[in-house]
Amino acid sequence: MALRGIKGETVRKALLYTFYLLGTVLMLLPFFWMISTAFKPDSQIFTMPVKWLPSSLYWDNFKRAFQVIPIVKYMLNTVSIAVLKIGGEVFVSALVAYGFARFDFKGKNIFFLILLATMMLPYEVTMIPTFIMWSHLGLSDSYVPLVLPAYFGAASFIFFLRMYFSTFPASIEESMVMDGASYFLIFYKLILPLGKPALLTIGLWAFLGTWNDLLGQLIYINDPAKYTIQLGLASFSNMTGETLWGPLMAASFMALLPVIFILLFAQRYFVEGIKMAGIKG
Amino acid sequence: MKKRLPGIIFCMVLIFILALLTGCTGAGKEKSTFTFATWAAGEELKEFDAIIEKVNREAGGQYQVEVLSIPSDYYVKLATYIAANKTPDFFWLTQELISKYAQLGAIADLTEMFEDSKGLTPDQYYPGVLRSATYNGRFYGLPWIANPLVVYYNKDLFAAAGVAYPPATGGWTWDELIETAKALTRTEQDDYGNNYQQYGCIVDGWPNIETFIWAGGGDIIAENGVDILLDSEETIQGLTILHKILNAGITPPYREVGSLGSNNVWFEKQRVAMFMGGIQDNFEVKISKLPEKEQFRIGYAPMPVGLDGKAHSFNWTASTVMSRKLAKKQTAYEVMEKITLEFFKWKIASPISGEVERIVEIAPAKEPALETIQICLNNARSANYVPEWNEINHNLWLKLYNAMLNEGDFDYKSQVKAIAEEARKLIANRK
Amino acid sequence: MKKSQIGFLFILPWLLGLIIFTVFPIIAALYISMTDWSIIGQETFIGFRNFGNIFSDPAFYKALLVTMRYAVLAIPLTIIMALLVALSVNNQYKGIGIFRTIFYMPSIVSGVAVAIVFKWILDPSYGALNSLLRIFGITGPNWLYDSAWVLPSYLIMAVWGASGGLYIYLAALKDIPKELYEAATIDGAGWRQKIRYVTLPMLTPILFYNLVIGLIGAFRKFTDAYVLGGAGEEGVFYMVYLYRQAFSFYKMGYATALAWILFVIILGLTLIINYTKKYWVYSERK
Repeated sequence: MALRGIKGETVRKALLYTFYLLGTVLMLLPFFWMISTAFKPDSQIFTMPVKWLPSSLYWDNFKRAFQVIPIVKYMLNTVSIAVLKIGGEVFVSALVAYGFARFDFKGKNIFFLILLATMMLPYEVTMIPTFIMWSHLGLSDSYVPLVLPAYFGAASFIFFLRMYFSTFPASIEESMVMDGASYFLIFYKLILPLGKPALLTIGLWAFLGTWNDLLGQLIYINDPAKYTIQLGLASFSNMTGETLWGPLMAASFMALLPVIFILLFAQRYFVEGIKMAGIKG
Repeated sequence: MKKRLPGIIFCMVLIFILALLTGCTGAGKEKSTFTFATWAAGEELKEFDAIIEKVNREAGGQYQVEVLSIPSDYYVKLATYIAANKTPDFFWLTQELISKYAQLGAIADLTEMFEDSKGLTPDQYYPGVLRSATYNGRFYGLPWIANPLVVYYNKDLFAAAGVAYPPATGGWTWDELIETAKALTRTEQDDYGNNYQQYGCIVDGWPNIETFIWAGGGDIIAENGVDILLDSEETIQGLTILHKILNAGITPPYREVGSLGSNNVWFEKQRVAMFMGGIQDNFEVKISKLPEKEQFRIGYAPMPVGLDGKAHSFNWTASTVMSRKLAKKQTAYEVMEKITLEFFKWKIASPISGEVERIVEIAPAKEPALETIQICLNNARSANYVPEWNEINHNLWLKLYNAMLNEGDFDYKSQVKAIAEEARKLIANRK
Repeated sequence: MKKSQIGFLFILPWLLGLIIFTVFPIIAALYISMTDWSIIGQETFIGFRNFGNIFSDPAFYKALLVTMRYAVLAIPLTIIMALLVALSVNNQYKGIGIFRTIFYMPSIVSGVAVAIVFKWILDPSYGALNSLLRIFGITGPNWLYDSAWVLPSYLIMAVWGASGGLYIYLAALKDIPKELYEAATIDGAGWRQKIRYVTLPMLTPILFYNLVIGLIGAFRKFTDAYVLGGAGEEGVFYMVYLYRQAFSFYKMGYATALAWILFVIILGLTLIINYTKKYWVYSERK
């Protein structure tokens, strides 16, 4: 308890900031390497000993990256898949999670176990049957298989939101029930706003999932005009394992920017917490 | 607040329908349209597209070839497509998989069409290259590239160490390669005055294990595709050559290779004096782009002669193959042959004998290497691939080669016997 | 309408999705596991022979051991790490938003990118980690090239990427009513007691969630392990082994049987965790 009082607070602060700075170095090291490589000519990328910084900013990698793939277009394609699915995925996941979290009905536990179980069978073995199914529907060469299932909820999001919703006090719905509001209205007007931080969190996960998905997009997208950013990044390596490191890192860096931007913008909403005036007491 | 709800639901339904609609485009395929699946992506794809465009133009509307580029996990998507009955009409297949795809009935037997063709006949190919496109003595693919191993060496490092160049027309042995490498393994100083080790050659999983097994006169699988030769005396002698190279201090320790990214960089940075690489490797261009004082002169030698008196040059080949489900195979074959002939002008090297000069048209810097490259092409060979190849090869890597790289005193002799037994079991289970 | 029926209505969309999109692939996967399907050829029904072959394959046990060892260590490690980081940034200090973002950054990159970067960080001679150790006069190990250090290498990667749960923990920490801490202070509790008796119990629902998700993730570990490997068989995780069987050896029947075995293992462990839930997971609802 030495850390009590104003002096203790200062020491604590200093210790924490040291920890933050150390953490920052460790967390950012790989990103630093990516950016540093993006600005190096080929001859400086692999050296012994390691060259931490390029001797001068070498922009050709960026130029080259744009020659290899239309980066902006691929990013927009990915964003459009994300936009098509995220709203539905988050909304429906919340709906289902609400049902699991705050109602009792026959078979609920079994259903929930099934929901968990759907996350346990590796995608690698269901991928081909799923593809065959879409192929029979004539939809295998499109965004539909990547988007449509999202409108029926995603198991991991439902699991997360169920956990989240069940921590809400039992009393919060009571007054609205007394007023005769339907449960859907309660869900829409009370639960959704209360769950905003959690919804934003899974919204971010859904976005990252789309942004970083390679295998799913690879299987279902054929037309290079419809390529996503990950398919684009894959185009920097060839079969023999030869990789255009500089341009790849330049492109990866550019692909990271929108995500960092979203994160910086949204991070304060994630931690808002659910306690709002009028709910408690 | 209350009014927004219907609006949101309406929007979601709209997006949902939109998603459905975007999927419904691109249906309807004409009959004279062929799909060609390729692993070419990025810049290579642009070159590939140009070839297909040219072929389409010359077809004058009789048929149309469409490109299906698979930029990553090529064989995963390819297999998925085959499973869903959407096999691309033509696709590329690496030599290791021809037997597997042929055995499982995914690709068409081309033997008659190939032998009767006037455009491209089996006897035009280098025999060692063509063999890789066969299964049970039948032809299943048209090889479109030959990329046999050659020894690249750094003339400047040889001169500095006072070592004689290896012969450009071959005839040197593996022992001579080891001795040469020893003479080139020296402590050098970089511009900052730091000492570093310069090595004679580099072996880090590449060259592949076949190269060394053949050097001993052995093999993995016999030509009949059934007998396992892994525990033969010759194979073990070949592995002993590998063991010797790994323990003579003439190659960088395995764990250090990654620090320069990959093995070829060691040659480019003048850290190793000799590099066994495919004739396609574009060291000449890469080195010409370096700052002047980092450049060096490249020499070429064929692979060393093994204990069986032959200078085996491991060759990687890929073939164009045809879906077995395709109707009107003869027409399709003509299209496929036409495209494959175009690949010969595109890649190093054309698998057709007598076309070595083409290399200079594609890569002028290869000119001084032509004589040596011709020898390598004549000596080009691949393993006797069987449907079980990937499994046997994976065992050889994981349990043998990788272990030899990590532990100098690894008992490779008993290990290879165990792998041979496993391989026999695999082949005995063949349907 | 009865309340229970309404509850069922809420989960109906997911149930429909399950029937439309999931049931067919799962039935197909059940059938495939009992065949010798090669993906590109015709299959033959062989009953449970795949399972028999799996249980007599030493490589299966090795892959399972590698994966289990990793899971046992990585799951608690990542949970503790994420929790510690969350506790440390749970304040309103200047610039905290930036630090939170930075700590979260490892989880925004794809598995392949992480693998590429760690190949460089863990490089024995010139990697960032061993260079760092050298400053302190320590000669670092050969990491992925040394069979004894393969597991620690993957644990380092797991810890680095542990912050995926950061915002969940942060949000949950924010939700702990101030009154609880105040009451604890009145009772004379120090910070250690507060964490033990207030913070942790309130976080148990999230710990439960992360435990189950972590379990699934650890057993299905694939991308970085596939890209990086590791000395000999030490780097062959279960999913890497499965993937090779399916897509390099074209033994999809065998691979699917492997998948079902993995499924049963994860499900069994989840059921055990779920059973213990009532003893340690806090819930407001009765």
